[in-house]
Amino acid sequence: MTDKTTDTPKLSHNETIKTNSRFLRGGLAEGLNVVESGALSEDDQQLIKFHGIYLQDDRDLRPERAKRKLDKAYSFMARLRVPGGVLSRAQYLAMDRLSDERGNQTLRITTRQSIQFHGVIKTNLRPALRQIDSVLLDTIAACGDVNRNVMCTPNEFAGRAYAQAEKTARDISTDLLPRSGAWREIFIDDEKVTKEPEVEPIYGATYLPRKFKIAVAVPPQNDVDVFAHDLSYIAIVENGDVVGYNVLIGGGMGATHGDAETFPRVGEVIGFCKVENAVDVAEAVVTTQRDYGNRANRRRARLKYTVVDRGLDFIVNEINSRLKVKLEPARPFKFAGNGDRMGWHTSEDGLHHLTLFVENGRVANVGEWKLKAALKRIAETLDVAFILTPNQNIIVAKADDAARAEIEKILAAHGVKLRGSVLREAAIACVALPTCALALTDAERYLPGLITKLDALLAEHGLAQQPITVRMTGCPNGCARPYLAEIGFVGRNPGRYNLHLGGNADGSRLNRIYKEDADEETILATLAPLFADYAQTRQGNEGFGDFITRRGIV
Amino acid sequence: MSKLIALPHTAPFAPEQIAALDKVIGASSSVQRAWLAGFLAGMDAAEGKQPAAAAVAGPKPKLLVLYATESGNSEALAAKAKQDAAKLGFAARVQDVADADVQSLKDAGTIIAIISTWGDGEPPQRAAPFFRALMGDAAPRLDGVKFAVLALGDSSYAQFCESGRQVDARLEALGATRAAARIDLDLDYEAGAKTWLAATLETLAPKNADAALAGSVIHVDFHKPAAEAASKSSPFAAEITAHHKLTSDRADSETVHIELSLAGSGITYEPGDAIGFVPENDPALVGAMARAVGLEGDAALHEALTARYDISTLTAKQMKDYAALTGDAQAASLAENEAERAAFLAGRQWIDLLEAFPHRLGADAFTSLLRPLAPRYYSVASSQKLVGEEAHLTVARLAYEAAGRARLGVASGMITDRLRAGGSAKIFVRPNPHFRLPQNAETPIIMIGAGTGVAPYRGFLQELEATNAGTQAWAIFGHRHFLYDFLYQLEIQDWLKSGVLGRLDLASSRDQPEKRYVQHVLWEQRERVRQQLDQGATLYLCGDAKHMARDVDATLNRILADGRDEKAGQAALDALISAGRYKKDVY
Ligand code: SRM
Ligand SMILES: Cc1cc2nc3c(=O)[nH]c(=O)nc-3n(C[C@H](O)[C@H](O)[C@H](O)COP(=O)(O)OP(=O)(O)OC[C@H]3O[C@@H](n4cnc5c(N)ncnc54)[C@H](O)[C@@H]3O)c2cc1C
Ligand SMILES: Cc1cc2nc3c(=O)[nH]c(=O)nc-3n(C[C@H](O)[C@H](O)[C@H](O)COP(=O)(O)O)c2cc1C
Ligand code: SF4
Repeated sequence: MTDKTTDTPKLSHNETIKTNSRFLRGGLAEGLNVVESGALSEDDQQLIKFHGIYLQDDRDLRPERAKRKLDKAYSFMARLRVPGGVLSRAQYLAMDRLSDERGNQTLRITTRQSIQFHGVIKTNLRPALRQIDSVLLDTIAACGDVNRNVMCTPNEFAGRAYAQAEKTARDISTDLLPRSGAWREIFIDDEKVTKEPEVEPIYGATYLPRKFKIAVAVPPQNDVDVFAHDLSYIAIVENGDVVGYNVLIGGGMGATHGDAETFPRVGEVIGFCKVENAVDVAEAVVTTQRDYGNRANRRRARLKYTVVDRGLDFIVNEINSRLKVKLEPARPFKFAGNGDRMGWHTSEDGLHHLTLFVENGRVANVGEWKLKAALKRIAETLDVAFILTPNQNIIVAKADDAARAEIEKILAAHGVKLRGSVLREAAIACVALPTCALALTDAERYLPGLITKLDALLAEHGLAQQPITVRMTGCPNGCARPYLAEIGFVGRNPGRYNLHLGGNADGSRLNRIYKEDADEETILATLAPLFADYAQTRQGNEGFGDFITRRGIV
Repeated sequence: MSKLIALPHTAPFAPEQIAALDKVIGASSSVQRAWLAGFLAGMDAAEGKQPAAAAVAGPKPKLLVLYATESGNSEALAAKAKQDAAKLGFAARVQDVADADVQSLKDAGTIIAIISTWGDGEPPQRAAPFFRALMGDAAPRLDGVKFAVLALGDSSYAQFCESGRQVDARLEALGATRAAARIDLDLDYEAGAKTWLAATLETLAPKNADAALAGSVIHVDFHKPAAEAASKSSPFAAEITAHHKLTSDRADSETVHIELSLAGSGITYEPGDAIGFVPENDPALVGAMARAVGLEGDAALHEALTARYDISTLTAKQMKDYAALTGDAQAASLAENEAERAAFLAGRQWIDLLEAFPHRLGADAFTSLLRPLAPRYYSVASSQKLVGEEAHLTVARLAYEAAGRARLGVASGMITDRLRAGGSAKIFVRPNPHFRLPQNAETPIIMIGAGTGVAPYRGFLQELEATNAGTQAWAIFGHRHFLYDFLYQLEIQDWLKSGVLGRLDLASSRDQPEKRYVQHVLWEQRERVRQQLDQGATLYLCGDAKHMARDVDATLNRILADGRDEKAGQAALDALISAGRYKKDVY
């Protein structure tokens, strides 16, 4: 869409919203005081994302509402900014309480190592954010056209290299944090705390064309999926210390059904930087995207499209031209896989760390299985830390021998098993219905049942112990990074998914569509013969995705 | 006083003429009205015209507003379309395609279809079955049916408004005639929808004057004076034209909205009045009672227990009488011992007594112990100036567990569980002259209510809307959960938009750790309350008498005392009451 008068493309409406927002204020303060509606104006709905908050409505309830003269069941979802996913026990406890008092009584661990609260109604939003602020956490820039929560391979208590990588993640997060005082002003203090005019030295008044995502990986783990983000860092470790990072750009998952202009893409390594230059590199990449990103069409506004449209060399030159210290040639690296290291691990200092399986990241109490109560008890009684993982699990970190024994007791007492099946532990699903406005079908609520059926199928072919990454999303936006899975399910219509095959175990290769719009019956009927064939003709311990690719099945 | 007959504001006269006619007709006797009717008919006859009554008897043209929705946009538009169509003299119905039978489209007359698209080019989830049926071979021919399609969509999707297109094409293929070209609307659909609907309804509107007039003609039975049209003793069997929940399925308790047709009854009411409802007992309970006294087979008794007697409430006297009648020593000692009796009576009903001390009884002996079944009252939740010959009620389902049994309110349970649209309810009006809007539209009003206590205020606000009185109205409403039982939320939003309601404050008691009720809002807003009262505002309070009313009174007392002692506050409150500026309707 270009407007008649000039041939410069017409800016997307969101650009106007940002321009007129007075650094992300808009009409939010007033809108939150409107009592008869749980919603906000269209424009403020876009703005509030910059503060880590989304307006949603419970789609399960839609059919009943208008007939009963009820407005949609609006509530807010709030997302923490917590680089690398590290929480103190006090912080974890506060979040647990918050979800009970102001949310839907669950915590949702996300694929970017954060926590989401669902079901926070308008009158509870400010109190909720004040509870978050009271434990020195915030939701600033957890959504919106800015740098999102910075991911990092856990865990900082497991060794020097991890701690150094985590520090880089935090430094980048802090450096790219919007400077606007709007968040505190609107949600916490309820009055102006910053005197305008403010400046956004990095972003400028209209911020970025689109969301921007950064991750830091410590090989051999690629749990953060470095190939899926706008900008990633791969730690290069020498004698236990991080000496620098390989830099990748231009990755991204999101796409739209039936729109060839949009597609998932794996990031490309563009060089190496020393630890002390990592933040400068982030600024250079972000400002390049700020200046060259597409501000006319939001579906084409991510860095991956800027790279495709302008060419990688052009972008890399831009980046280097903004750096005091240019990028060096990339160093060799090797990834083992993109899952979490489940179960107990002991670090050199003798402390124990438990990566606990949390199905689809939903921390709740369901019947006999009382995970939420168990974690609460652990946080109340033991001196441990909590780390949210990139695969929606949680690490209970730095437990001494006594604490380790106690943790096992508490979990058992609350009906929580340490492990799931091999397939289930590695599987992730996005939230989708009922809260996600963009969902075309279920994901989180459907995957567990499907896994049970797939496990049975795999067992028939003696593959029960074979690790295979399964990822499901309720729409093509790719929130669970399904295009990097060996088996990916991408929601298309109610109860129907596009079946993707051929990703590899370390998450460096995109899978491809094998079957479109498949319901459960079709899914199982399609996979059964492939599993059989795989069991028969796999070469050595060849992964399922590699097998599919070698055989040219997709 | 509620008039016996009021011409609807839609009558083809100027307001002052209506007032004048109301004066005359309202005070006229049945004989006078009968004579007048004959005289008017005679007048037309003399001029060779058909008497109007005959001319307008013709049925209104049918219009079906179909919608397919996921997130409610189409539904909202459909509701609007129905309203406008009704104003134009259509007999308009709204229907979700999810509840629609494709075969029935044959007789729909004229169809306006409002269809949104989801997925990638899919119909909304609940609409899928209807789409399959419509596209299928079994779909009926629709020759003679007129239609027009409004498609909702999002142009950023590859298949923009696909579902709307399909319906449009299919209806034509089935032989229906397109009355207006389809319109495909993007996310900013409001304005476009408004103009399209207006234009389309315009072209479809019945041109024939009589039919148009039929929209506003009220048939009053001149042979039966309204005073006797309905009373406790001879209630009017009103057709239930709408019956649906107001609360979410997630709400702790259920409240329903029902609309009653007063057509032909001559019943009129004013906002603030109550509707008397004559209930029947739960057949299951009736059966259990008959069985308990060994009279299963007795049809006459069944009939009596169903409609004439209060078979739930159990009193101390009744216990004694039952003990005496049956000569049951145990029952007698229980009935005589004050403390034990009270303990037994707590939460118990007749059925508990009969089953605790079973005896075979004669029908007459048994019923001689029972009290007559009393009507229940429900605040009228509408204004005739807006809804014409209808009365709307807001009914909370009373269900609780006591003495080991699940209990259901006689009347509310019947209304929520056993009555449905298409059925009928026996009703009469109970005027409530003490709970009316101020005579003077200049007087500001403060409406305080919780739960079904908001019902009469819906009537007030409809009245203010219909008369666009410009009254300064402030509502303080309470409910448990903002998301699940904010009664009439959408209508209240509209009244705030249009300014009919000036200000709203809400108290949700269970949405946060600490309880929050209307009295808490009152206290927070005490400055505004005082200032409104200084401006001569009238206060209204409606709803639960036991708790809410008490706490609100105490809070008002503190607010009016304004630092002085409690007696001063009480005095000020009493002054308001005797000045008719603090009106209560609590139950
Ligand atoms: C919670 C989470 C999924 C999960 O189950 O963990 C999630 C949930 C949502 N994502 Fe996401 N995304 C989440 C990680 C991702 C990822 C994975 C990642 O970042 O590593 C991706 C793919 C990577 C990428 O960005 O390309 C992702 C790509 C999207 C997109 C597509 C973006 C694009 O450029 O195409 C959208 C839609 C959009 O932005 O327009 C989206 C939008 C959404 C929204 C906010 C829907 C909306 O915009 O209204 C979802 C909220 C659902 C709900 O009810 O909670 N989400 N989203 C993840 C939160 C991460 C965090 O803590 O910040
Ligand atoms: C002027 C007026 C206006 C009204 N307006 C409305 C209105 O708009 N909407 C509305 O819903 N109602 C309204 N009511 C209340 C309504 O009239 C009925 O009282 C209500 O519907 C209950 O009647 P029922 O026949 O369903 O219950 P019943 O069968 O009469 O049962 C009610 C009795 O059950 C007993 N009971 C109730 N709860 C418990 C408990 N937890 N434990 C033990 N015993 C219990 C009490 O003895 C109570 O009297 C109004 C009442 C009045 C007087
Ligand atoms: C997940 C999703 C999918 C949608 N798919 C389409 C589509 O394929 N084509 C289209 O024209 N509109 C599409 N829309 C836009 C809706 O049709 C539009 O929001 C419409 O106003 C909804 O009306 P309703 O609330 O009556 O369902 C989609 C919207 C959402 C949120
Ligand atoms: S992938 Fe789609 S459905 Fe799932 S959370 Fe993201 S936007 Fe929602």
